Amino acid sequence: MSLEPILSIRSAEIGFKDVSPLLEGVNLEIKSGEIVGIIGRSGIGKTTLIRTIAGLVRPLLGEVLFSGGNISHSTRGSIGLIPQRLGLVQHQTVGYNVLIGALPKSNWFQSIFSLPSVEMREATRKAISAVGLADKTLVSVNLLSGGQQRRVAIARAMVQNPQLLLADECLGELDTETALEIIGLLRAIADEQGTAILIVDHNPVRARTFCDRVLQLRGRTIIPLNEGEQEEASSLPQYRGDE
Amino acid sequence: MSDTPRLVQFVVRRPILRTSIILAIFAVLAIFHLEVNLSRLGDAASNLVVIAGEAWPPDFSILTKRASWAYPPCELQTDWMCSPAVLGMTQTLEIAFLATIFGMAISLPLAVAAATNLSPPLLAQVVRQVLAALRVLPSLIWALIFVILVGIGPLAGVLAMTMYTVGYLGKLQYEALEGVSREPLEVARAMGLPRWQVARFFAIPEAANSLISQMLFMFEYNVRHGSVVGLVGAGGIGWYMQYYLEPFKLYDRVLALIIVMYLVVIAIDQISLRVRSQFIEEHEQIRRPKWRGAFVPWVESSDD
Repeated sequence: MSLEPILSIRSAEIGFKDVSPLLEGVNLEIKSGEIVGIIGRSGIGKTTLIRTIAGLVRPLLGEVLFSGGNISHSTRGSIGLIPQRLGLVQHQTVGYNVLIGALPKSNWFQSIFSLPSVEMREATRKAISAVGLADKTLVSVNLLSGGQQRRVAIARAMVQNPQLLLADECLGELDTETALEIIGLLRAIADEQGTAILIVDHNPVRARTFCDRVLQLRGRTIIPLNEGEQEEASSLPQYRGDE
Repeated sequence: MSDTPRLVQFVVRRPILRTSIILAIFAVLAIFHLEVNLSRLGDAASNLVVIAGEAWPPDFSILTKRASWAYPPCELQTDWMCSPAVLGMTQTLEIAFLATIFGMAISLPLAVAAATNLSPPLLAQVVRQVLAALRVLPSLIWALIFVILVGIGPLAGVLAMTMYTVGYLGKLQYEALEGVSREPLEVARAMGLPRWQVARFFAIPEAANSLISQMLFMFEYNVRHGSVVGLVGAGGIGWYMQYYLEPFKLYDRVLALIIVMYLVVIAIDQISLRVRSQFIEEHEQIRRPKWRGAFVPWVESSDD
């Protein structure tokens, strides 16, 4: 695990113009290979925080630095996003949805003529196999279950191989067994590719079981989730990793 | 309100009646302003009887006799293949096909530029105005313009229908592209992809069902309107109708051409409707769009 933070947020104010900010004084650092969980009640600003880090929303104040610099074209392909509803291209195959993770590495000729390199195709094949969907490569993503669709989104991130992966509630509404599989895949991405992962989860107990750190959004700021609060939160639906 | 006459109260309280009265007043004003002479309807009825008498029975020799005056000239040896009906309908279908293909090739990049979720707002507004300007003129006026510019013949028809297709299809396409889900586009933007890759690999595939369906609809539309542009010399079956109407007034042959055109248009509508139904989102297990399936439906069905 590198000591240099991949992501640094300094004194940021997060929200939308002409509306009171959702989060104030946000300070956050994430290092390579680290999995950081974010919890908080609905509507508090978890998704807006993720979208701000992804460069889709500008912070109202403060800085969001990626590898010490601003998010720009030079960070192309370094940030991966798995939104709440996964962001898969509908009516396209599993293979297509995973292969587009390799687009940041493609040159203009490969992109214009849709001619992925041998390496891109091989990476796609490996990622699809790693998530256990090898027999579904040519199946439309619309025909997959929710858990399988999440695996497609994770395979897309594996092919992209970003330095920072932002996952917005990608464990939501999953049964325990499927959630365990997805967690295993995320852990593998962090450990094997050294990817830093920031994951939003609504279940603090579950987040504790697989995240290196868990932070919570409370009031308008972001604070660490301590042990006492975890026990307090255990009244929420339980997740037992050993089941 | 108590001082208001009861009749006025009765009307004011009934929105449908109120609206009907207002529309009727405007209709009467328009009739007076246009100096519409309703007595002419009586003349029209007697003219209709004369024309119907001359048109019936339809003369289907237009399907068998060679049109030696055809433009461009027909070189084939078989007479029926060079008949006005076959030549006219073939030209109309070819004009519609080429206009749809060329129109699609031009309108899709313009639609991407006009979609506010894919392009900068200023560029989107400018391209929208261009597309709106193309739609201002109906295909018949475009045909007149191109007949003047490039002369009588199918080329004018293809150019006229292409211009109209770009304006009309472009609008349908940018609305379809703006309707795609926000999340795949955000995934692409988080990856740092340029705008054209976001459109090429995320927005267009996501909207593919609508785009294919719209293209087929436009082909149907172009077949119907391709018949009309011939009336001003832009090729197609309309040109052959015009030949029989002026100066010969051979209404029996015109009626036969109209019947042939009607049957072909009905057949194309049915085929297009069947193919388009495969791409219209009615249930979750919708077929994955394949362009070849748009033209060869049995390939599409055998794949799945």
